[in-house]
Amino acid sequence: MEEIATTSASALAGGPGGGTELAIEKKEQAVLELADFDEVVRVYRPRILRFLLSSLTDRDAAETLTQECFLKAWNARHQFRGDSSLSTWLTRIAVNLMRDHLRSRSLRFWQKTRGQALDPMDISDWLPDGRSSPESIALARNRVAEVWKAVGELSAQQRSVFVLRFVEEMELEEIAETMRMNLSTVKSHLYRALAILRERMGGAK
Amino acid sequence: MKFRKETLRESGAGARREAQMGTDVESSLTSSEEMREVAEAVSLYRSAMHHMAEQPRPRPAEMAKRAASSFRMRLVLVPALGAALAAAVIAPAVSHMRHPGTTAVEHTPAVQAPATDVAKVDDRQLMDQIDSDLQEDVPDALQPLADWGEPAATTNNSVTEKK
Repeated sequence: MEEIATTSASALAGGPGGGTELAIEKKEQAVLELADFDEVVRVYRPRILRFLLSSLTDRDAAETLTQECFLKAWNARHQFRGDSSLSTWLTRIAVNLMRDHLRSRSLRFWQKTRGQALDPMDISDWLPDGRSSPESIALARNRVAEVWKAVGELSAQQRSVFVLRFVEEMELEEIAETMRMNLSTVKSHLYRALAILRERMGGAK
Repeated sequence: MKFRKETLRESGAGARREAQMGTDVESSLTSSEEMREVAEAVSLYRSAMHHMAEQPRPRPAEMAKRAASSFRMRLVLVPALGAALAAAVIAPAVSHMRHPGTTAVEHTPAVQAPATDVAKVDDRQLMDQIDSDLQEDVPDALQPLADWGEPAATTNNSVTEKK
């Protein structure tokens, strides 16, 4: 939990002339961005909620942790120095909150913690109506349900990396920074996640 | 304003990301058909998640109503069922403890009911029989006179015949 808001200030030391100025400008922008916190919440809330919803498959928990994420960000806003983008910083807070939540959930095994767990077919209800025939709609729903189930079977780290890559569309380097992993570890998790997904979707060779 | 810039930057990099995602998927999937299917499924999944997270929570009222109604139902049904069960189990036990022979007593008349009828019939018959017997046995009030007069008459007749 303590690692949530601390970002290193090492970026100032690196890069010659123009690069350093750009880095400083970016940092200032990121810090200024945080000044209008209402706007921060408005812009980044869907992203954080999406990540937590995909990772936890529990709407209530995702909503609660999203709120907690912004509360922690607000409390730690003075510690943000802009070394990473605001998006990365917030996602990192969300990742840490999710880890804590999963840890506590595994301890509270006797509780029905997934009472509000989303059903795969409920997820597929959210598909945008861009399909013409009922067959194609049904096929799309089935596919989404299959992906949803497969994602649910991934390990926590695989799932986080998969969601950040394919739902949040983050760069691999950004994922590595957010998850505090090596780039090779991120690639490895992603590869395994895709292999599991292919297997679950009946495409294993 | 800065958010818009970042959003634009992000959306501008969208094509690059799509291409990289394609290579990610491609690197782990061998068949092109399979790759296409999985990529499409992942894309659908992404759009569903985006759509879902962007919408304000759609069914909190429904869920709250459902939860409240089920809670109310539980609040009513559980005590009612408990009371019914308690009544079904405890009441016979208590009544049995208070009146241990009740069941036997209750059963006896049911079995003996025909017997009492028979007894009643027998009593009536018996009474009738007794009445009839008594009526038969009771002699006529003038019978002794009748009995007394007849031997005298015969005696007189025999005397006159001797004379």
